[in-house]
Amino acid sequence: MLKSKNLVPRSRFLVANSLIIIVFSILLIRFFHIQVYGYDKYKKRADVNRIRAIPTVAPRGMILDRYGQTLVDNYPTYILTGLPNEMGNENWNFSVISNCTSIDTSILMDNFDRYFRGRFIPSRITKDLTFDQLSCIEEHKHELTGINYIQFPERSFSLDVNMSHVLGYVKEIDRLLLSNMDDTEQYDVGDLIGWQGIEKQYENQLRGEKGLSFLQVDAFGREVGVVKDINDIKPIPGKDVFTTIDLGLQKTLEKAMSNYIGIALVTDPATGQILAFVSFPDFSPDIFTGNTTLREWREIVNNPTKPLLNRITNGLYPPGSTLKMITAIALMEGLMIEQNEEFECAGIYQFGDRVFKCWKVSGHGKVNLDQAISQSCNIFFYQAVQRISLNRFINLCQNFGFGSKTGIDLPNELAGLLPTRDYMNRRYTSRGWSRGHLLNLALGQGDLLATPIQLAVYINKIATKGKTFKPHFLLSKVPEPTNSMNLNEQTWIHIQDYLFHAVTDKYGTGSAADPKINGINVYGKTGTAQNPHGGDHAWFVGYAKDGNQMASTIILLENGGSGGKNAAPIARIAFEHLFKKNIINRLAVK
Amino acid sequence: MFKAVYNQTSDMPISIIIFTIMLTCLGLISLFSISMNQFGDLAITTFTKQVLFLIPSLVGFLTIIFIPKYIIHKYIYAAYSLMLIFIFVPFLFDTIAGTHRWINIGLPVGVQPSEFAKWIMVVALARYLSDHNLRIKRFTTLLFPIFIALVPAIIILQQPDLGTAIILLMPIFPMLYWVGARPFHLFILVAPVLSIAFAFHTISFTAWAILMGSVLYLTKPRLFFGVMFYFGNIFLGLLSPFLWNSLRPYQQKRILTLFNPELDPLGAAYQTIQSKVAIGSGGFFGKGLGSGTQTHLKFLPVQESDFIVSVIGEEFGFITISIMLIIFSLFLLKIVKLAFFAKERFPGLVLIGIGTIFMAHIFVNTAMSTGMIPVKGLPLPFISAGGSFLLSCFIMLGLIIKMSDESIE
Repeated sequence: MLKSKNLVPRSRFLVANSLIIIVFSILLIRFFHIQVYGYDKYKKRADVNRIRAIPTVAPRGMILDRYGQTLVDNYPTYILTGLPNEMGNENWNFSVISNCTSIDTSILMDNFDRYFRGRFIPSRITKDLTFDQLSCIEEHKHELTGINYIQFPERSFSLDVNMSHVLGYVKEIDRLLLSNMDDTEQYDVGDLIGWQGIEKQYENQLRGEKGLSFLQVDAFGREVGVVKDINDIKPIPGKDVFTTIDLGLQKTLEKAMSNYIGIALVTDPATGQILAFVSFPDFSPDIFTGNTTLREWREIVNNPTKPLLNRITNGLYPPGSTLKMITAIALMEGLMIEQNEEFECAGIYQFGDRVFKCWKVSGHGKVNLDQAISQSCNIFFYQAVQRISLNRFINLCQNFGFGSKTGIDLPNELAGLLPTRDYMNRRYTSRGWSRGHLLNLALGQGDLLATPIQLAVYINKIATKGKTFKPHFLLSKVPEPTNSMNLNEQTWIHIQDYLFHAVTDKYGTGSAADPKINGINVYGKTGTAQNPHGGDHAWFVGYAKDGNQMASTIILLENGGSGGKNAAPIARIAFEHLFKKNIINRLAVK
Repeated sequence: MFKAVYNQTSDMPISIIIFTIMLTCLGLISLFSISMNQFGDLAITTFTKQVLFLIPSLVGFLTIIFIPKYIIHKYIYAAYSLMLIFIFVPFLFDTIAGTHRWINIGLPVGVQPSEFAKWIMVVALARYLSDHNLRIKRFTTLLFPIFIALVPAIIILQQPDLGTAIILLMPIFPMLYWVGARPFHLFILVAPVLSIAFAFHTISFTAWAILMGSVLYLTKPRLFFGVMFYFGNIFLGLLSPFLWNSLRPYQQKRILTLFNPELDPLGAAYQTIQSKVAIGSGGFFGKGLGSGTQTHLKFLPVQESDFIVSVIGEEFGFITISIMLIIFSLFLLKIVKLAFFAKERFPGLVLIGIGTIFMAHIFVNTAMSTGMIPVKGLPLPFISAGGSFLLSCFIMLGLIIKMSDESIE
């Protein structure tokens, strides 16, 4: 059977040959299509395959005071990370770490999950490792898998001052936050973002730009070395922010305010720069960076004195007698009062069926406008304010900036409340309110609520005859003018005189604000605002002038009693601090 | 000894040997490149293993050379029965990598009996067809050869090893065609499979129905048979969508992924894509020995066997790939030529069968690496790493030499 003849028609031989040639031609064309025609496309794909760009952190810019002293800096902390793919038994790893750091495993696990971004990206487990903790982890390194520690620039704050409301804080971006953010180009999980205060306001400047470091990775995403033909992009560090704050003054005022709840604010009327900004009680800014426990956090949030509230931009207060200048200016501008026109103060004043009292029970006797302001006579204003309309009063308040945001460069400022006619009608119906309300408003009581920063703009306008600038913290900022005021020169001169007398006169209520330094004129007005929720708020608003140099202060002591007795002395501390240098200079010149 | 070897080899078709040496060298160079980045004991890199496997391969080659042709013819059925037993044996052992492909007999390497099933089956089939060539024009005579191939194929499918099972079925049709079976009979055999395949696409199915009708009209079978065949196939086609819908979703998915790997991007498609990226990024001249980033960064799966073409494509470029393909095609054309000029039917059929097996391996491997067909793990002859396969290839080479008649040309 082996010998059966091999009789194959030639056609079948040719069919077999052509089949082979066709198949191999197809294969050849296919390879040509991929390797020669598709070369560029696949070359690119191959590069993407092997190169991974890892962002490198840019250190945040520092925040400095006006003389370049550090308010916020960075310091290196150590962060413990775990590479999910290499960790193996996670629970075992966490328990070893927990033993070393004495941080509960549940916290470690929570962090790990919160920062998890993928199996081949290290996820943060804990931070702020101390040297002891690090060396303990180093000792147990052989028991750990996929655990590493890296350096990370953390925010550190000047220990001298708190200023938490100004500086604000940074927050670490976790997955939840990132999913709610618009600008995901710039940020990734674990990055810091300015969340309040200057950190938020000047985020773009402080942030800097992340760098990229190119690593060669294998198919499992593991690093296998650096890429030779591409250079790393170095991170651009954030720019430093010079603030207008005077660290020494800030320190002094924080100390002076430490026994009170309230605010102390010093600004320069000529530029709008903020020199000191104290809102007490405050909190240590690093509660947002450290491992703050939930209990500590609750204590801060539930504290009845509300340390988290920025009282200067977000505290709403009745301005009390400090608002009396509005009535005075309205009267003078309307030529509705003579300079020496006097009203009788008997300590008590009946308006309709209501009885209004002066703070001086015995009464001031006959007082003119000057004396009424310097001695803060209530009865004078109860009577005088009746000559103007509510609209006129409110308009003037608006011109001085009440009822609208001042434009300070801090986030979330409040606008206060200005009871316009519409507002009164809405609140009390058109028949429910009367001129009696106007009498209250003249004394800064009733519906009108203002933030201390609004009072600063108000007093700065008086100090500069309406030519002040918006309050701000950024030293390099070109000051933005506030809305223009169109008052008579005479009105400005008179009102400044009255404020000068309130501090310098024998009977002046604000005399405690005068540091009694030669050549320095102090102008001011005290206020003792009645507070329906407790003791009176003590106010002092005023400014001091030494030649061209000016500084205005706003002091508010919540439930602080008399403005003249308690608030004015704190203003004196500020003026002393600011102008003492001038004295020394002047003496040196002599 | 040397004289005996010389006598046996002096008048071999020398070009076949040269092609084989060239392909083996290309394989070794590629494996050397892969091994460059393999750490650990130098003795166990893919490259050194392959070099060591060449020794038994050459022994197998020479053994076949020295066995007289009639002995092969006489004992092939016995060998076939033994082979059936051996491909059962792996089922008695524990699975390796989830399959019953290997026999582990304490050697450092496992033996894969299904590799030897390929050529034993071809030789057995060749003997049957050459013994029964007078009745080959009858349709019923075609059924037994199919049975010869189908039995080992079904066993191997259970291992499971779909690739090898398909390879086993491949030589049937070329061999039947070569031996003189009527093309119409082959058409009848293929028709049901195509009826099912085309059933899911209306236009294709219509075209297929018209084609079937035309073939029947031209070949003019008996009326009853023609009608039964035609409507049987149409009915089968119409029924298959219902059968398909009765499958469970995961079964459907598995079958779909088989035909369209893009549906399973992290599985088979990942391999196809990585392989294409590797080949494409090689360009015309390649990246050079040891410089294939996709190769060395392990983006390529099973690069030393199933995806060896990707390594060659990436590191040595289109130029080398085309040379390799030309060598393969010359190799196959030479086999067909030898088969055509063989004096007897038996060696001619063996050559066609082995040629088909080589052809199937080359086509499936390269077409898979370039994403033309779904991923099916089949190695590339003489080039891919793998002991049993290399030995099998050299034995088949020996059979080619043995079966080629000295007096041709």
